[in-house]
Amino acid sequence: MTINIRRLGVRPLAALLLAGSVLSAPLPAAAEDSDTLVIGRSMDVNSLDPARAFCDTCQFYLTAVYETLITLGEDNKSLVPNLAESWEVNDDFTEFTFHLKDAAFADGSPVEASDVVWTFERLKNLKGSPSFLMDGLVSAEAVDPRTIKITVEAPNSEFLNKVSAPYTGIVNAEVAKAAGAIGDETAAEADKAESWFMENSAGSGPFALAGYSPEAELRLARNDAYWGEAPAFSEIVVTQIQDAVSQAQALETGQVDIAMQIDPDTAKSIRSPDVVTEVVPSFNFVYIGFIPGAKGMADVLTPDVREALALAVDYDGMLDFTVGGNGKKQAAPIPNGFPGTAGLTPRSQDIEKAKEMLAAAGASDLKLVAGYPNDNVYGVDFNIMMQKLQQDFKAVGVELELKPLTWAVWREELGTGEWPITAVYYAPDYFGSGQYAAYFAMVDGYPWTKRASVGKPELVVNAAETGIYAKALASSGEAADAAYAELADEMMKDTIILPLVSPDLVLAHRSDIEGVRYSACCNLPLAEIKRK
Amino acid sequence: MSVIGTDIAPSANRRRIENSIRTFQRLPLTARIGAVILLFWTITMLTVQLWPLADPLAMVGRRLQPPSLEHWLGTDALGRDVFARTMEGSVWSIPIAFIVVAAAVAIGSALGAISGYFGGLLDSVIMRAVDVTLSFPPILLAMSVAATLGPGLGNATIAMVVVWWPIYARLMRAQVLEVREREHVEAAIAGGAGRMRVLVVHIMPLCWTPTLVNATMDFGQVVLLAASLSFIGLGATPPSPEWGSMIAEGASKFYSWWIAFGPGMAILSVVLATSFLGDGLRDLFDRRSA
Repeated sequence: MTINIRRLGVRPLAALLLAGSVLSAPLPAAAEDSDTLVIGRSMDVNSLDPARAFCDTCQFYLTAVYETLITLGEDNKSLVPNLAESWEVNDDFTEFTFHLKDAAFADGSPVEASDVVWTFERLKNLKGSPSFLMDGLVSAEAVDPRTIKITVEAPNSEFLNKVSAPYTGIVNAEVAKAAGAIGDETAAEADKAESWFMENSAGSGPFALAGYSPEAELRLARNDAYWGEAPAFSEIVVTQIQDAVSQAQALETGQVDIAMQIDPDTAKSIRSPDVVTEVVPSFNFVYIGFIPGAKGMADVLTPDVREALALAVDYDGMLDFTVGGNGKKQAAPIPNGFPGTAGLTPRSQDIEKAKEMLAAAGASDLKLVAGYPNDNVYGVDFNIMMQKLQQDFKAVGVELELKPLTWAVWREELGTGEWPITAVYYAPDYFGSGQYAAYFAMVDGYPWTKRASVGKPELVVNAAETGIYAKALASSGEAADAAYAELADEMMKDTIILPLVSPDLVLAHRSDIEGVRYSACCNLPLAEIKRK
Repeated sequence: MSVIGTDIAPSANRRRIENSIRTFQRLPLTARIGAVILLFWTITMLTVQLWPLADPLAMVGRRLQPPSLEHWLGTDALGRDVFARTMEGSVWSIPIAFIVVAAAVAIGSALGAISGYFGGLLDSVIMRAVDVTLSFPPILLAMSVAATLGPGLGNATIAMVVVWWPIYARLMRAQVLEVREREHVEAAIAGGAGRMRVLVVHIMPLCWTPTLVNATMDFGQVVLLAASLSFIGLGATPPSPEWGSMIAEGASKFYSWWIAFGPGMAILSVVLATSFLGDGLRDLFDRRSA
């Protein structure tokens, strides 16, 4: 998932109001013993339309309301049936056939192949943020009411993983069309259904949308017509609580049952015996990116200089200072535990070598500027992280000037190459390493190639990566793992993306709640949560 | 001549010092406390580089350590000494407040005096600009200007001057309107003095009292606004130990209360001190409200 929309943790202005809001925020009454599950988080909703949404909140909302053909098992690796009871793949990973279960939408109408076809075509044609999931879709056809055949233009062994992403949740085509949704090629301009999707839902999931007010609350009601096992709660309320400290307080007082964005430092300060916290590894990571295409940097930020800067970073210290040691180091821009990462060795610090390389490159008194969003993400305060980087660079004689920016300014300046270093974060949309290749690999036209090169792709493009990525997509199992490992190696050699920390995640909930877990595709599967 | 010359100068100086001391003694106790606090911060600002403190920018201990004998106000998320940073913070906050107030007084008073003395269309234009600026909440206007200019203390300073000058324009205009009707002004005009000369020499010297009182009180407010801008990321950039940005760093580590405590107390002391002193000065100068 890209960065643009996610914001969590302390947003500065909101933090200013913190002292007052802790006491006066209109939180729902104590949630205990009720049939309602109350969740506290800072909502980053950009849309509730499955084909337009792209955010952490969207991931668990869509999972609860719309169902995917396949979903990710509890091991966060294996694919398990969801709406599709079985599927077949041809030998070269270009044709996928899905057989649907006997399932029904919330309005009682059956989930049919035509709904799947329409959903996938709309996702592709709308050209929204999650549309990349349908990149390369040649055709989707309903063989019979319960069978769908999908053809993609090039081998894609990750397609099954892609249809486990919540954004591919199947929409009731008839209901959506009646609301103005359009699935054909004109969708990008002609579809006017987004506002309808903000107030209504048309899925087959265990819950349905009951109401959403931005910056306040998201309310879900149990889908009484649900074809599967009925969920334990009749209602779920996600209430807006901006920062970790306020979330922890709401959890301790019982105003919420689950708090989603408590960082490990704050978790340690929770003393209530009624609160359970568990620290688990996440697949999220925070990285710095080098931008050799930035103004005046083409001859400065050479591969050797980038390598030297990478050697200057105190990765262990970074882990300690950003998340108090509650995280993991990460080698390549593919999260630990994803295909191809098993044998990778994270980078380590070597100040002497860094100095030598900088001297050899004639860059001993280098001055660089880092522009980054002034935000707190997954418990990592970017200001703290970048000040640590500033000190690490100083140790090898490189002066780093910091420019914390608002998201809007950051996005604008990123596109024009105002500064050579930035910091961002990434969370997966499904289990699979291909999404990282498609985002971070130095292949002409890919998102980070555009960012790092600012119109001069020759500065960064790594010709080997195109072939390796294609090889990975044309194979599966160990062969694919090997190809992704090779790709990860190449991406490390690029030294454009430097993962700093993969922060651990805190699952924090009242002790009478069970079934809270972290899912790589879907964030927090709401239907599995029960009250003891 | 030389004997008289050397004789007069020291006695004049002595008289001036004695006058100052007498003025100080006539101030209420709170105002005297305020003056002492301000003096403390001024001296700190000038001499802090010489103090035997830890390097405010270097990691000198483990992160998030509570106050101890070694680190009086604990350490922050990067293991820096909060006490050293708080003291060093005066080097950023105090001069900025001084520059902002001085610039606002200079710009505001000049425009206010022109407006009040010349009247007419010029008066209308300037006063409407004042009304427009004052109709925005100060923090909102400062934020918009600072956000447009980009982060950095220089830009934050400009933003605060933009917010602050209108108050002084109004104050000076009101004073000038009153003083220009006095007889000595009429006498000066009758004597053939030019209009600028009348304004600068005969009117403005009598108009400074409310401005001085207000400027004293505003000093603390500017420190607070500068800190607010830094808090929301529009002022000082890391790693400078500006008070507002230190509090922002403490806000995300709320349970390590000591990170924000030092700079918070520093801001509180400056704001209180200027309020006390300003109040005292007003009582002293303005007998009606005394």
